Amino acid sequence: MAQSKMFLVSENAVWRNDNMSILKVEKVTKRFGGLVAVDDVTMEIRQGEILGLIGPNGAGKTTLTNVISGLHTVSEGRIFFDGTDITFLPTHKRCHLGIARTFQIARPLKNLTVAENVMVGGLFGNGEKLKDGRKSAIKLCETIGLAKPNEVLDKITVLDIKKIEIARAMATKPKLLFLDEVMSGLNMDETREMIDTVRKIRDTGVTICIIEHVMSVIREITERVIVLDRGAIIAEGPYSEVSQQHNVITAYLGEDA
Amino acid sequence: MEKISFLRKHRGILILVAILVVVAIWRPLAAIYGVQRGSLYALIGLPLALTLGVVGIMNLAHGDLLSLGTYIVYLFAVNTGMDPLVSIIPVFFLLFILGVVIYKLTVTRVLKAGHLNQLLLTFGISMIVLELMKVIWTTRPRSVYVDYSSSSTTIAGVRFGTYELLYVVLAFAVLIALQLFLKKTRLGQATFAVGQNPRGAKIVGINTDFVYLFVFGLSVAILGIAAGVMVPRFAIFPSVGAAFTMKSFSLVAMAGLGNLTGILISGIVLGVGEAIVQSIPGYAGWSDIVFFGVLIAVIMIRSLRRQSL
Amino acid sequence: MKIIKPILLLIVLAAAVMLPLLTEAYFISVAITILTFMTLALSWDMMLRTGQLSFGTAGFFGLGGYAGIIAAADLGVDPITGIIIGGLVAGVVSLVLGMAILRLRGLYFAITTMALASVFMVIIRNLHKISGGPSGKVVLSTLFNYDSNKVYWFMLGVALITIVISEVFQRTRIHFAIDSIRADETVAKSHGVNIYKYLIFVFVVTSVIQGVVGATYALQYGFVFPESSFSAHYLLLPIAMALVGGIYSTIGSVIGAIILGLSSEYLKLIMPYGHLIIYGVIIVVVVLFLPNGVYGAIKDVLGFRKRRLEER
Repeated sequence: MAQSKMFLVSENAVWRNDNMSILKVEKVTKRFGGLVAVDDVTMEIRQGEILGLIGPNGAGKTTLTNVISGLHTVSEGRIFFDGTDITFLPTHKRCHLGIARTFQIARPLKNLTVAENVMVGGLFGNGEKLKDGRKSAIKLCETIGLAKPNEVLDKITVLDIKKIEIARAMATKPKLLFLDEVMSGLNMDETREMIDTVRKIRDTGVTICIIEHVMSVIREITERVIVLDRGAIIAEGPYSEVSQQHNVITAYLGEDA
Repeated sequence: MEKISFLRKHRGILILVAILVVVAIWRPLAAIYGVQRGSLYALIGLPLALTLGVVGIMNLAHGDLLSLGTYIVYLFAVNTGMDPLVSIIPVFFLLFILGVVIYKLTVTRVLKAGHLNQLLLTFGISMIVLELMKVIWTTRPRSVYVDYSSSSTTIAGVRFGTYELLYVVLAFAVLIALQLFLKKTRLGQATFAVGQNPRGAKIVGINTDFVYLFVFGLSVAILGIAAGVMVPRFAIFPSVGAAFTMKSFSLVAMAGLGNLTGILISGIVLGVGEAIVQSIPGYAGWSDIVFFGVLIAVIMIRSLRRQSL
Repeated sequence: MKIIKPILLLIVLAAAVMLPLLTEAYFISVAITILTFMTLALSWDMMLRTGQLSFGTAGFFGLGGYAGIIAAADLGVDPITGIIIGGLVAGVVSLVLGMAILRLRGLYFAITTMALASVFMVIIRNLHKISGGPSGKVVLSTLFNYDSNKVYWFMLGVALITIVISEVFQRTRIHFAIDSIRADETVAKSHGVNIYKYLIFVFVVTSVIQGVVGATYALQYGFVFPESSFSAHYLLLPIAMALVGGIYSTIGSVIGAIILGLSSEYLKLIMPYGHLIIYGVIIVVVVLFLPNGVYGAIKDVLGFRKRRLEER
């Protein structure tokens, strides 16, 4: 009896060891009518890494994010997160499990204040009580550098809106965070600040998948990138290697290059 | 290959013909009445589809403006002795002007507001028009008698009213006229473009505001045609048109936006459905539910189809 | 400053409770009407806060009224139990329907709720045996036997409970769920809000309120009648009231109901038939010119002045 129990434990440990990935996407295809937005994608995101998801416009990066976070259902394929099959789980449950995201075009909740925006994440994504939610939201605002948590969203800078996006996602206490073009529209200093923020988040143990057009950012902070083109993965590996590959360059610059 | 695409293209019409043949054998009277009444529904539904498709506004005052049209027809008949069918011409233009005025005063201001404000606005307008009619003409029903309205004929042992065939003629006429307008005239092509892609239309230099104004006016004006043809057979009272708002919307929901031919097909299908329910003894009162049932079912199916998690 | 608000609230409350002792019967009946529509306005606004425009208010009002009268007449229950049954029936029906129609959004949700009210009426008009058909149904034992003071207190209780529910919706986590859904559903669900659950919850709660008000209204007069029980008045007036006072708030509907309730009495005197036109005009004017309602507009003006003073 004791032996078999030990056996189970050890097997479990082996499974964990073997499975360093937090997210597994298996042969996922997403079609909109005749258009194939994501084409037979198989990929993994490893625990604790900063992964870059890159590719030319319309490559299917955001669609893939939407499929993983549950805004779109897959046409084919399976998705596993942290050992559970989430293929058919509704969006809010995926959030409860620990998948959070920001939006490419920032979507602040305009009828709420800065801190209240962040609170939504804590209250519903992390199941906090109202009082705790308010406290932790204000704390998060401080950490990320949102100076006026009680401000309404009428007059607020682009940088602050992006910070709200990240703080709101972080408030759900995610294990895996998708950052969809959080650097676009920022100036040099702001980009610097944002890169620091992303690193700090990773240091708290959150796995990050970053979608970005600014290649200098990708080069600087990612350990690994996946390149999408027309919905399919065309390259995978460290940025320095991938950026030299012929097919990646063609995808970005066209056949003539 | 070509055969298949032909079938697919005219699927709606083929289904319609099949249904009609079956019903005509089973309950010939229901088939005839259904087609007649369904055509009237389509005649009233077409302009609603036009505003919804092009201007993007659901006009909840649609049916009340129809009632107003019937009163104007009534006024012409009482004061000048004009035949209701003749008065369609002046009423058409009067209602066009009314539509333009309503658009200029109100609708144009909520075009950029959310659907919530748009719905509330037209709901308010609907109430104003309705209550205004009650104040001016009271709720007492009125009618205009013309001798040809009760004519009937017998074919193959089935006796039915012939006046109502006018609904069918007019519904087809308005549908064809609208199609020609959209395809053959400059303004029509502009309208079509605005309906497809308002922003793009604006970029290529189409005066979208004028198109909206014209389409809204035209939609209200077409109600004048329906009003003129209804008056000889319907009692006139303030809420006579109210029910047509929902029925018209049902047709649009069933046909899908931008499908004018579909409006006529859906109108006839629902008209026949209603007529069948009405022909079942003891269940005539349930016929009103046909539209709502279909409306709710269609909306549900359409929304579930593009449902994400 | 902080103590003024609760004291003011207490005074208003005391005045509301004492009202029957201070005024005559006519004014009490006006007050009952105002409370009735205030509650409907609040319930309509509570649904609107989720971003869903419902035209079903009159439908659940009529449904509750019919359920209450049928329970009292055929099951022989007392009027208060009838009112509870009215609320329960509205709640159960809204739960079942809500599971389907709350998949819809915007225009489609609004139109479907409008259709539902008509469907209720058609069904009830055709269920002759249960509902009395087109000629309506009468019950002999009315609520408190036409004692309008007691009816007033009862209705005041219903209104106060609704106000409390509305405030709970504004002050607890429900507020954040509802407001985030209204602002951006995609963001809400991506951050863990179970949209569907909250929408159904609010829809059922507001429908129960509408059912209770409908049953209270029907049982105080002791009859129902298809055309009047499902009349568009029970939709038009609450919407106008909420819009006038200002949507998305408790105080808005309360103030709107009092302003319009009192002025409609005056309007009825000067124009006995057409006074409903005014409500239509009010809706149009508010939508076009005063998006925050009268209360909101006053607050905006005051806030503007205050800011100007501070700037000096």
